[in-house]
Amino acid sequence: MDRSKTIRTYEPVGHALGFVGSLRLAGTELYLSRHVIWHLFVRDFVAQFRQKILGYFWIVLGPLLGIIPFVFMHRTGILNPGAMEIPYPVFVFIGMGIWGLLISTFSTVSGGLLGNADLVMRTNIPKIALAITGLAGIFYSLIVHVVVLLIVLTIYRLPPSPWALLYPLVVLPMILLGVGLGLMLAVVGAVARDVTGMATTALGILMYISPVIYKAEFSHPLLQVLVTWNPMTYLVDAPRSLFIFGVIPDSLGFALASLFSVFMLAAGVHAFYLIKERVAERL
Amino acid sequence: MSGAAWAIKAEGLSKKFGLTLRQSMRYGLRDATRRLVGKATESHELREGEFWAVKDASFELREGEALGIMGVNGCGKTTLLRMLNGVYSPDVGRAQLRGRVGAMIAAGAGFAPMLSGRENVYVNGTLLGLTTREIDDLMDEIIAFSELGQFIDLPVKNYSSGMYVRLGFAIAALSRPDVLLMDEVLAVGDLNFQKKCFDHILQLKREGTAIILVSHAPGAIWAVCDRGLFMHQGRIEVDGSTEDIIRAYEDQNARSAVRSDQQFNRAVDEHNSTEGKTLPNEYGHSRGGTGDALALSVRVLSAKTGQPVSEIEFDEPFVLEYHYRVDNELIRPIFRASIDAVHYRFIVSIDSHEQGFDWESVSPGEYILRQTITSQSLRPGAYRINTSIVPRGGGLHIFYWLGAASFVIKHPTDRFLYSNDKAIVFLPCEFDLKRC
Repeated sequence: MDRSKTIRTYEPVGHALGFVGSLRLAGTELYLSRHVIWHLFVRDFVAQFRQKILGYFWIVLGPLLGIIPFVFMHRTGILNPGAMEIPYPVFVFIGMGIWGLLISTFSTVSGGLLGNADLVMRTNIPKIALAITGLAGIFYSLIVHVVVLLIVLTIYRLPPSPWALLYPLVVLPMILLGVGLGLMLAVVGAVARDVTGMATTALGILMYISPVIYKAEFSHPLLQVLVTWNPMTYLVDAPRSLFIFGVIPDSLGFALASLFSVFMLAAGVHAFYLIKERVAERL
Repeated sequence: MSGAAWAIKAEGLSKKFGLTLRQSMRYGLRDATRRLVGKATESHELREGEFWAVKDASFELREGEALGIMGVNGCGKTTLLRMLNGVYSPDVGRAQLRGRVGAMIAAGAGFAPMLSGRENVYVNGTLLGLTTREIDDLMDEIIAFSELGQFIDLPVKNYSSGMYVRLGFAIAALSRPDVLLMDEVLAVGDLNFQKKCFDHILQLKREGTAIILVSHAPGAIWAVCDRGLFMHQGRIEVDGSTEDIIRAYEDQNARSAVRSDQQFNRAVDEHNSTEGKTLPNEYGHSRGGTGDALALSVRVLSAKTGQPVSEIEFDEPFVLEYHYRVDNELIRPIFRASIDAVHYRFIVSIDSHEQGFDWESVSPGEYILRQTITSQSLRPGAYRINTSIVPRGGGLHIFYWLGAASFVIKHPTDRFLYSNDKAIVFLPCEFDLKRC
């Protein structure tokens, strides 16, 4: 490749990019930045676990510790999650794992630019690459989540369905949703820092109208409407049912929720590209 | 070099910022909202509380050319460099760069303290646009250039600051970019390493790399660059030879030193006046004395025109004018002045008795005293005048005033005084080199 012919042009963006234009640009920039993304992932991953007593063991232990409060509340009768076909620890482990993917994806991507402020200010790496460098860690967490889930199922002598192989694909919409929301907040949050905190709180509230730690079946009609129209309901329920029973309970709902996630991702990329030029000067 | 292709083109580049964080956030949110709804932002005009950090910067740089950018702090040179590196998007204008851009401002960027030097080479190398394979090929060269040897496998948190910057510099320099952007990075490591850096930069230049060097060091600019830009308040004020921009930079530096000195003195005076103090009858103040006499003002005048001036040409005679008020008769007074440079105090003493001017007594009243400096060889820079009246018969001060006035000696246009910015006197000298 004769790089001497590559010409970079920097000028004010006079016209708004369309959805397709933004996505195409994002694809090109991510491809060109693949080496950086990989090495930054390796850097963060290795640096994170070096000099820690539990090291890689912590990766497995962490998710298990996360469900202890809910299992405790369930055992003591404080929490009534509804009638279950599977043991509650398995239910809550999968639910928390999927929800955790959304939250960690959102916080990783939304904090990606602020966390890499030094690189934003000193290098010409595409900003979208810096925003999503933490995503490799999310996919790694997903693998760990599945491995630990298999251990939990073994303990409960509950065999996973063969359809569990599609689990990573079925949780993908949740990750895409997290990336979309994260990209929007990465640029807006760099301009007004408290917006990210507000959005994180809002997502926390949303968990309580999603079937994460209980089945989210409410007698109150308004709450039930919220649950029905909440895309998270399907994005959490579908992977869990598929992993254990090999079925997706409401496939239309899941399909629509997945479409919503893709739309949010495109909207996130679009918003990111519309505003990203204002980010560096506000960091 | 004129046949070489262009490497950097800047056309009317401009960038504005808000003065306060609140304004920045407000305008940032407004711009973001306008963009999200598909409306254009008001990037061409200044809004309330905004200023142009860079305004209308245009230049072209060809392959193998080096351009120095100088200016006092806050003049916009780093903002310009960041626009060229794609960090800031211009509000107006356009920048084009041909080929791979290596930004020495990114030297050491992304270093993780827990990782070894070798591991960090990969991170920093990819940030500079290298592929993993290119870094593999360059690794031995980088280790040799940075002189790290076996320490390359040590976590960088255990590196000395010198080792850290040497490694960062080595990666950036050896990436052999087509365009190299540097911001004050040539003064790294010991003298041998600095020499190696200079040699390597010049080698890159010979191989066709276009270089932009932002620096406050005239020596570095002069050694590396073919021409330069002098920036002031966001605008390119001088686009010319390195000598021209160094002259402009040093004159501006001197003006800034004088201005800051005057502002400081004014603040001190205001502070003292709020306390309702008269002339202090003790040492330790900027002004003081017995109260028998005092200088109401001190001015620097052009010897040619007699008009007050703040800047004097190199080698040009000038006049110091004092407006005195004598309240009690002065017996055999000596009028004395001294001059401070930026780095040194009392570099010159002008004493009426030493110069052969004596008065038996000076009766009460107001007086104007003029001291004409008929020849001077002060080097370019900022200077400050102190003045005092002392009696010939006693070792005390009837009156003293430190920092009574300031002036700037401008850089001469017919010679280039670059060698030492701390030197204060120019001694004309003839050189004669003969083989023995």
